[in-house]
Amino acid sequence: MLRVRLHGRGGQGIKTASQILGSAAFLAGHQAQDFPLYGAERRGAPIVAFARIDDAPILERGPIAIPDLLLIGDDTLLEDPQVAPACGADEWTTIFINTEQEALKLKDRLSLPGLPVVCSLGPLTRKHLGDPRILSVSLAAAGGRLSGRVSLDHLNEAIDIELGALGLDRQTLKKNQDLAAEVFAALSPAVFEERQEKPLVAGQLKVLEQQEVAQAAPLITATGNMQERKTGNWRVQHPVIDYGECNNCLICYARCPEGVIAADAEGKPVIDYDHCKGCLICAQECPRHAIRTLWERESHEQR
Amino acid sequence: MNNGKRRMLTGNKAAAWGARRAGIEYVPAFPITPQTEIVETLAQWFADGSLKGRFTNMDSEHSMFMAAGAAAATGVRVFTASSSQGILYGLESLYTVTGWRVPFVMVNVSRALATPITLEPDHNDVMSTRDCGLVQLHAETCQEVLDFVLMGYKIAEHSQVSLPVLVNMDGFVLSFSREPVLIPDEKEARQFLPSFEPAQPVFNATAPLARASAVFGGGTYMYFRIQQDLAARHAETVFNETAKEFGERFGRFYEPVERFQTDDADLVFVMSNSFATKGKAAVQKLRRQGIKAGLLKISLFRPFPAEAVASALMGREKVAVIDQNLSPGVGGITYPEIVTALYGRPGAPKKILSVIGGLGGKDIRENEFMTVVDKLNDPEEKGPVYLYDEKDWAQFQALAKIARAEKGGP
Ligand code: SF4
Ligand code: SF4
Repeated sequence: MLRVRLHGRGGQGIKTASQILGSAAFLAGHQAQDFPLYGAERRGAPIVAFARIDDAPILERGPIAIPDLLLIGDDTLLEDPQVAPACGADEWTTIFINTEQEALKLKDRLSLPGLPVVCSLGPLTRKHLGDPRILSVSLAAAGGRLSGRVSLDHLNEAIDIELGALGLDRQTLKKNQDLAAEVFAALSPAVFEERQEKPLVAGQLKVLEQQEVAQAAPLITATGNMQERKTGNWRVQHPVIDYGECNNCLICYARCPEGVIAADAEGKPVIDYDHCKGCLICAQECPRHAIRTLWERESHEQR
Repeated sequence: MNNGKRRMLTGNKAAAWGARRAGIEYVPAFPITPQTEIVETLAQWFADGSLKGRFTNMDSEHSMFMAAGAAAATGVRVFTASSSQGILYGLESLYTVTGWRVPFVMVNVSRALATPITLEPDHNDVMSTRDCGLVQLHAETCQEVLDFVLMGYKIAEHSQVSLPVLVNMDGFVLSFSREPVLIPDEKEARQFLPSFEPAQPVFNATAPLARASAVFGGGTYMYFRIQQDLAARHAETVFNETAKEFGERFGRFYEPVERFQTDDADLVFVMSNSFATKGKAAVQKLRRQGIKAGLLKISLFRPFPAEAVASALMGREKVAVIDQNLSPGVGGITYPEIVTALYGRPGAPKKILSVIGGLGGKDIRENEFMTVVDKLNDPEEKGPVYLYDEKDWAQFQALAKIARAEKGGP
C-alpha cells in the first residue's frame, strides 16, 4: 500500500489535491481512499489530508502516522512545532517539499531521514493559473508522478471530475491540466519498498480510577491560558506597522477582533505575532494606512 | 421519626412536596401535560412565600434543562420537571448538563411519544434519556415519588456521584391519582438532606471558570466519559447507603429492585413504574390459582443494578420482561438489559420472554398476566409478545371506520 500524507494551509487546495490523487488512482484501477483532517479553524490554518493507494482492498482508516509519500505544500509550516509536517517520516519515506530552498540544507536543518525532493510549484502555478498559491493540481500532480501509480491521462480525468464538480469552466480546467502536465514532466517516479509487516503486540491498558468530581468534570479554572494556544500559524498574510506613519491613535488596538494588539509604555501599538491570525482588519481600519500587509513567506524571510 | 402528615396527594403533588421538603432554591419551568400540576403547585408556593428562591418560566424545555444545569453549577439546589415531547426537545441539554457533572433533580411524568400523538402514558420518553448519564429512579406509588425526590438530591449531590437524578412516574395513572402520602416533617427532611455543599468549584463573579470546552483527539473526551461512567456506576452504592439512611429515619426501606414473592417463584414478571402494582395483584391471584408467580420491580434503572437483578432471577425457571416501551425493530428496551444481566450465570432462567404492553395508555388487564403465563409455558413462543387483543382491535376498527369512511356524493 502507498500511504500519502499532504500538508498545507486551509485555502490552498490541499484537500482537493488529495481528492484528485485519490480519483486518479481510482481511475487507474487501484483501490483508493482519500481523507482530510481539519477542525474548527479557518482559512490559513494548517490542514492535513491523506490518500491511500493499493491493489488489494484498503483495510485502513483515519490519519497516516508513517507516510510512504509526504507532500508538503507550504514550506512555512516546516519549522512549526504544532504541525511538525515531517513527523513519522522515516528512511523509506519519499518527502516532497514545495520550496525554493535547497534539498541538502533542508535535510540538515530539519534532520530529515533522507534527502527531500524539492520543487518550487509557485512559478509554474502562477504561469498557468495566475496565482502561485493554489496547490490543488500542482501538488496532486507532484504526488501522482512521484507515486508512479497514475498516468497523466488519469490525472487529467481526475482534474475534470474534481475541479469540474467545483464549477470550473472548460478553459480553466484546461489550464489546470497544462499545469499538471508540466509538473508531471518535471519529476520522475520515486522508488517505494513495501514496509516489513510488524506483528501485533498487545499493550497495557490504563485502568482509570474514579476521580473526585473537581478533576473528573470538564472544568477549566486556570485563567489566561489562551496564551498557550498559539494561533499565529493560521496566517497567510501578516500585518506590519510602519511606525514612521503611525500616530498612535490605537484604532487598530480597538478593532483587532483577537485582542492581540497591545499598547506599549509609550502608547505605540505592538502586534503579538504568536496569536495574530492575519485577518488584516487592523490594516483596513488604520486611518493613516500605516499597516502594510506581507505574505507570510515574505515575512518569514524578513524576520 | 415520622412526625410527618399523611394526606391525599396526586403523584404530581407528591413530587412538588418532595421538592419543597428538599428545600429547593430554583425552578426553571415549562408546563406540559401531564406534568403541569407540579410546576403550578411550585409556582404557587414561591408566590405565597412557602418556598424561598426563584421560579422562572422558560421558553422551552431545551433552555429549561440548560438553566437547571447552569443554576446547579452556581451551587443552588435546583428542581425541574417535564414529560414526553418536552423531554425529547430538551434531550440535547440533558446530555450537556450531565457532562457538566452538576447535581439536580428532575421529575419525568411519562407520556407516550408522537406519532400518533397522545397524552397517555408509556415509557418511551424516559427510555430516550436512558443513555444520557442521568441517575434514574422509577416510582410505583405517589409515596415513592416523594421519597425518591428527597433521596434523589442526596444521591445527586454526593461528591462521588455529582450527576442529575431523574425520578419517573407514569402520567395520569400516577400523576393524577390521589392516594395517601406521608409528607415528612420539614425538620426531619432537612436533617436527612442538609444544604447543598458543592463538591467542585462553582460559578461566581470573581473566579472565572469554564465548565465545558471543545476537546479534540479523543483522549481527553474519553477520559471525561469514562469518569461519567464510573460516577454513574458508583451511584448504585450511594443509592444503597442513602436508602438505608432514609429507611432508618423514615421507616420506608427501598432497594434497587423490589422482589415481590420471587424467592420461590417458578415464573417472574419483570416490570417497573405504576403498573407494577397491577402485576403484584396478578401474582397474588395466580398464586391462589396454584401458579407460583413472582414480580421483580426495577426501581433503580440507571445505573442498572445488574447484580441485584441477577440474584433475584437466578434459579427461577421462566421470566417475562414486560416493557411499556418499544424500540421498533428490536422490541422491548429493557429486555436485552435483563438478558445481559443473566448471561452466562449458572442457574439463569431457561426462558426469558419479551412482552410489550401498555403502550400509549393501553391498559394491561389482569387476564393478560395469565396470557403471559400461557406464552411462557408455550415452548413455541419466542416473543416478542404484544399484549394486544380483540378488544383493542375492535377499538381501533371503530375509529378506522370513521377515519376512512368513503363520503357519498352530494
Ligand atoms: S490604527 Fe494605524 S495609526 Fe492608529 S495606532 Fe494603529 S497603526 Fe497606528
Ligand atoms: S491581522 Fe491585525 S486585526 Fe487581525 S488578528 Fe492580526 S493584529 Fe489583529
